Amino acid sequence: MSVPLNILFWIVVIPGTVVFGLVASWIVRKVSALVQWRVGPPLCQPLYDIMKLMGKEILVPQEAQQTVFMAAPLVGLAGILLFSIMLWRITITETAFVGDIIVAIYLMALPSLALILGSSASASPHAALGTSREMKLVMSYELPLVLAFIVVIIKTGGQLNLAAIAQQTPALSISGMLAFLVALLCVQAKLGFVPFDIAEAETELGSGVLMEYSGALLAVWKLIQAVMLVALPLFLVTVFLGGFRPNLWAGLGKLVGILVLLILIKNTNPRVRIDQAMKFFWFYCGIALAAAIILAIIGNYCGVGWL
Amino acid sequence: MNQEELNNKLLEIKDKLTAVEQPADNRIYLACEAENAYAVNKFLFEDVPLRFVIATGIDSDDCFEVLYHYAYDETGCMITLKVFIRDRENPTIESIAPFLPGAEWIEREIHDILGIEFKNHPDMRRLILADDWPEGVYPLRKDAKGPAERPDGEPSTRPTIQTQSPARRTVPLAKPVIAVGPFHPLQEEMEFFQLTVDGEIVTDIDMRISYNHRGIEKISESLQFDQVAFLVSRVCGICSASHPLAYVQAVEELAGVKPPERALYVRTIINELERIHSHILWVGLAGHFIGYDTVFMWAWKYREPVLDLLEEITGNRNNYGNVKVGGCREDIPNELKPKILKEMDKLEKKMDMLTKAVLDDPVLHARLKGVGVLSKEDAIKYAVTGPTARGSGVAIDVRRDDPYALYGDLDWNVISQPQGDVFAKAVVRLLEVFESIKMIRQAVKRIPDGPIAVEVKEIPPGEGVGHVEAPRGETFHYVRSDGGNRPVRHKIRAPSFVNVPSFRASCIGEHIADVTITLAAVDPCYSCTERLAVVDQHSNVIHDYEALLRLSRDKTAQIRKELGTQGIKMEDL
Repeated sequence: MSVPLNILFWIVVIPGTVVFGLVASWIVRKVSALVQWRVGPPLCQPLYDIMKLMGKEILVPQEAQQTVFMAAPLVGLAGILLFSIMLWRITITETAFVGDIIVAIYLMALPSLALILGSSASASPHAALGTSREMKLVMSYELPLVLAFIVVIIKTGGQLNLAAIAQQTPALSISGMLAFLVALLCVQAKLGFVPFDIAEAETELGSGVLMEYSGALLAVWKLIQAVMLVALPLFLVTVFLGGFRPNLWAGLGKLVGILVLLILIKNTNPRVRIDQAMKFFWFYCGIALAAAIILAIIGNYCGVGWL
Repeated sequence: MNQEELNNKLLEIKDKLTAVEQPADNRIYLACEAENAYAVNKFLFEDVPLRFVIATGIDSDDCFEVLYHYAYDETGCMITLKVFIRDRENPTIESIAPFLPGAEWIEREIHDILGIEFKNHPDMRRLILADDWPEGVYPLRKDAKGPAERPDGEPSTRPTIQTQSPARRTVPLAKPVIAVGPFHPLQEEMEFFQLTVDGEIVTDIDMRISYNHRGIEKISESLQFDQVAFLVSRVCGICSASHPLAYVQAVEELAGVKPPERALYVRTIINELERIHSHILWVGLAGHFIGYDTVFMWAWKYREPVLDLLEEITGNRNNYGNVKVGGCREDIPNELKPKILKEMDKLEKKMDMLTKAVLDDPVLHARLKGVGVLSKEDAIKYAVTGPTARGSGVAIDVRRDDPYALYGDLDWNVISQPQGDVFAKAVVRLLEVFESIKMIRQAVKRIPDGPIAVEVKEIPPGEGVGHVEAPRGETFHYVRSDGGNRPVRHKIRAPSFVNVPSFRASCIGEHIADVTITLAAVDPCYSCTERLAVVDQHSNVIHDYEALLRLSRDKTAQIRKELGTQGIKMEDL
């Protein structure tokens, strides 16, 4: 990448990610609306929402641990932005500077951890319940998620470097496909989409973890969710579907495809209970991934690519 | 047990009664004095056994009356036990709540509004009056002053959100408490559930209602018999065909009026349309409560044509105002019949699809089966009605048990499920939609020509009960007339009033995630439940139109004075 292009990248990447995120959250709302026979919001609605929240007063509960309460969303935003910069860098320049898959897994967990910190600092019983649910949920889906990436690592011959992984397409095999499907469901949970919106559960906890957040801080949480809408599918594309090959449009197509898949799952399921979610991730997804790992190892050992 | 055996059974307690009247085959009035009330009630509820409906407190001239209404569902017989409390200074009676938890709320209500003491009541907090309402002022007594004149002149507040009484507390306060309400995304109306939780498990529940009182029973005493039908259709927006019908049937029984046949058909069709749209509404809301917004939107879209039909027949999507004493106000035009049949065909197809989608969804099974179980015993003890009872294996339905309108002549089935969980209630409601469609088809095809109302001139003295199977359960109205043109007492019992207290039996020990859907599963209707507060809870509202007008004018004058300007006079214009 030439120097001016490089500079341009650094200038554009963060606002670009945010804009992409807002567009993605518009897609979520619009597609949901179409599924439900509604009209849906205009393209700029997510932006208006954020702008409006930014102008509102920030209320901090009296008994809240103020520093943590205020800092948590910023930590989450920093984490998810760093994560997406890494991914864009790999996608656009195809050279990974710091990015191996282990770092990505850690950065991906940061918004959830920030959410747990922030909501447990907010001194509200609803948020406390939401926190405990979010914690259980994180513990449920992290294990299968990591296992799914292990399948990828095996399939790509022990590669940890994301740029190198993006040169291959692990999903074109049985074990890779299994791992991809499980990872998709984990992403569903990470995004807090139905059926895994247990921590927010509007009709039970009145938005749970986010209950005490208002104004600009809430806007930051909304931004984090919007950016995650791009970053997490992009990560799946990079790891499982061979990145943005053969061209940009194919890459964007894969990205939107995953997004629409997530939205459809969101709109055709009721919310599950937290114990049901844990059972689902540990038991069913665990078994599926154990099988996938064994298949992948056998495939590698015998040189059968499609296993 | 048939009607004759029931009559004989009732004679077993003859020595405790002072009078037995049977104005019709399935209407029995018993009378006794206050000291025998407990024994007679226990006999009626446990030994006969009858289903408790509600109690009515009346301020008669020389005594207080408490009327315990029971139903015998096998023959559709309504049995009313009149208890006279002669001591006007210290009216006291034994509480029946210890063996009949379904009577707990109504005794609290009667205590609030009439000041009758119930001995041995487990939890005598206020139910409908605000907590700072002065002691010893009972709004439904005949000598009570109007709501605008609060005796101590203090402004009143809304009910507090302290729901837990020390007597009821089963766990120390240190346990975390989750507040569902008074305003909560789960609820369309104001009510307050206080869940005591241990982790995700609910260990105790307490409820506070009465955020939304309108004093309809008191208003009803000041309106003419014809006007009351419009008033009670405003008890609840969704049951706005059932309430007036129950009231009208009570008055027709009192006056011995028989409406013409075509009116019965019209009533049946409108009530079944109401049931369909109410059940679909519930399916949608239940979907929303468990985070299934697609079902929410789809169900409500399917509901629209039903509302459109109702609008074409009565002129309104809700609050039809279509029944009157002696018949109906609006006829179903014969031109509309093919359209109704066509819409029913379309609706049946859509509901078929929706029902299959809901009943076959494995996630929904996991989410709803075995959740919030209300056992058959509890269902009887809490005297629940409607789909809540039928989902618990208590197959009662006023339409079959005590047929009114046309239901006796139609071919249909009572749907019931034995499990008692949320899923069973959902199944009952979904399948009932198909029964309703069946009934509407039959009624539309057979509707005869003729007048839709007879003229009713005088309402004689007497009393009558009317009950109707509303979408949520049995709606019960009791009307007493002294021969004037207004009811002297009009008691309304909406189904939610008995269904809501059953949460204590179905919610404790459940997950929080399950409690919310359990709360929603009885399809609670709080505006129904809270029809009775006679008092103005927030005293800045003054009921009197004149007073409001005066206030408004005073304020304008005040503002003018502050601004130093003269009012605009007619001459200036």
